[in-house]
Amino acid sequence: MSSTAGAVTGQIARCVQRPAAARLAPIASRTTTATNLVTVHCRPAASGRRTLSSACLLLRTTQSPRLSTTTPTTRTIPTCRAYHSYDHPPPPGPFSETEQAILSAAYKHVPEYGFSEEALALGARDAGYLDISTNLLPEGAFSLIRWHLVTQREALASRVDSNNNSVEALTWERLLGNKDVIRRWQEALAIMAQPSHVPASLKELAMLADEILYLSGDTSVDPSWYTKRASLSAVYASAELFMTNDFSEGFQDTRAFLKRRLNESAEVRGVLRSVGEWVTFTASAGVNVLRSKGVRI
Amino acid sequence: MTMAARPALRRAIPSLRSSTTHQSPQIQHSLRSFSCSSPACRASPAGSTTPDYATPDPSRPTHFGFETVTEAEKRERVAGVFRSVAESYDKMNDLMSFGWHRVWKDHFVAGLNPGFSPLGTPGSDPRSPQHILDIAGGTGDIAFRMLHTAHVVNGNPDVTVTISDINPAMLSVGRQRAQQQLTASQLAATSFVEANAEDLTQTKPLAPDSHSHSTITTTATTIPTTNPPISSSIPDNSVDLYTVAFGIRNFSNIPAALREAYRVLKPGGVFACLEFSKADRYGPVFNTIYKQWSFGAIPLIGQLVAGDRDSYQYLVESIERFPSQGEFRDMIVDAGFVVGGTGYENLTGGVAAIHKGMKPRAQ
Repeated sequence: MSSTAGAVTGQIARCVQRPAAARLAPIASRTTTATNLVTVHCRPAASGRRTLSSACLLLRTTQSPRLSTTTPTTRTIPTCRAYHSYDHPPPPGPFSETEQAILSAAYKHVPEYGFSEEALALGARDAGYLDISTNLLPEGAFSLIRWHLVTQREALASRVDSNNNSVEALTWERLLGNKDVIRRWQEALAIMAQPSHVPASLKELAMLADEILYLSGDTSVDPSWYTKRASLSAVYASAELFMTNDFSEGFQDTRAFLKRRLNESAEVRGVLRSVGEWVTFTASAGVNVLRSKGVRI
Repeated sequence: MTMAARPALRRAIPSLRSSTTHQSPQIQHSLRSFSCSSPACRASPAGSTTPDYATPDPSRPTHFGFETVTEAEKRERVAGVFRSVAESYDKMNDLMSFGWHRVWKDHFVAGLNPGFSPLGTPGSDPRSPQHILDIAGGTGDIAFRMLHTAHVVNGNPDVTVTISDINPAMLSVGRQRAQQQLTASQLAATSFVEANAEDLTQTKPLAPDSHSHSTITTTATTIPTTNPPISSSIPDNSVDLYTVAFGIRNFSNIPAALREAYRVLKPGGVFACLEFSKADRYGPVFNTIYKQWSFGAIPLIGQLVAGDRDSYQYLVESIERFPSQGEFRDMIVDAGFVVGGTGYENLTGGVAAIHKGMKPRAQ
């Protein structure tokens, strides 16, 4: 945001986006209450985070500890936010250093072994751990899928082209991030569709849509904040599904599919806007006609 | 810290104990942030940095159900409880949990997936041997499931299980069941030792009973081949998987047991614990029903079926006194383990919970 006008818009966006964030927060915290207080090793942290952790500690001191031997946690992980904040640094990812070591090694085996226990165990071996060490990952194979989703989403910011940061270009970049594992992605989608993994998968999709719209410079602060993200999520999910069966050169069919879907959603948005305008106009005109007839409204 | 050094250290810093145990958590936090930032301290939490509360001390107060007793007394009384319930233990478990404890145990073992090895390159045998230590494994519930998963489901015969319990009465029941239920190869991969989980340097193989012609082989790492009662040690970095199911709440000094687990586990080895926990995930109504059942019905069932009300009164009180999921996870982290995600998994709304931790690689 370089121009002054842009900066001002950003300011407004910041002010108005907070209620939206506040509305979203309960949803986010409901799904991740448990992760709120995950302990991890103490690292020099930003002052904001330190305040948070001491706040948690204070909270803990008010509860009577059952065992005098229990030591307090030294670090807390803030929960994953489901929206992009202008005011706060992004929360640390859901993976600890050890998990990252195993998962990044396991990810290299995905094209051959799929998103499976095999890939995880091979990754653990590569990282210098034992076969049994994969038990560290609470969700097994789904952790590997999540690793793919999170790393690809985070890599999007570095791949963004400053000249062309349209929603379509960004979504296409993200889809290309799947190309190494696309022949295994149907398995992954099947795992993601298991009931216990659906909430985490949907949240990841929502965060991806938010990331894409944020990077494309979207500053909407009205209900379209939600509709844009919802429609982009639907478009992305269907394009991804299309891509798993796309054997064309450079996934050109997927690209064409993506364009058609985005155009359609733009059309639908245009139609909805026109209908909205017509309804508003007609309603106010109707009110005025009634007023001219002497009705007191 | 060597064993010999422990009493010396205790004498040297008698005042530290009270200050450690009664200190406000915030001060500890600031202390910890210094020690944590140094990799050397993190690498060896069971070493010289062992806090005093994690060193077994027979005279330190702990709790036995809702009573406060010393650690030594608790050990005695827990031994008494399990001596008296050993025979009816499994029947009582079924009655108290409506058989649901089997589902938890199956889930626990299936999640751990012992003996699993990746396929690896064709031609080579990728199956790597594993040594499982089942602490407080008395009647063998977990160990037999482990053996089945490893030998039959995962086809890995190089998995050995050492069943350890402080109580020889429970171990005898376990060995009897092993002879009835296990195949010869599974039996050969099983060994029974009598040990205190807070100090695995002193283990004693279970004395053979005169009636059996069992061929319980002992693994080289745990016991010399000569029969009892030669005590031996479970060496450092020798165990792939340390499991304790419905046992850890009976320990006199849980932090010490966690540090001992850390010591015997290989780097990358996994500590897994299945234990009763706080049933607060399905809301207060479920919790109330659960509390009514455990305090109202379980001692009564114990009285009627096992003829021992006090032991089952202790059982439900000890469940009540056990730390919550988050607190216990923090204790695991404090012992030097790394945990993934939240560090625990709730079963049946938190009636039981599975905690897992991995010993990190030395840095």
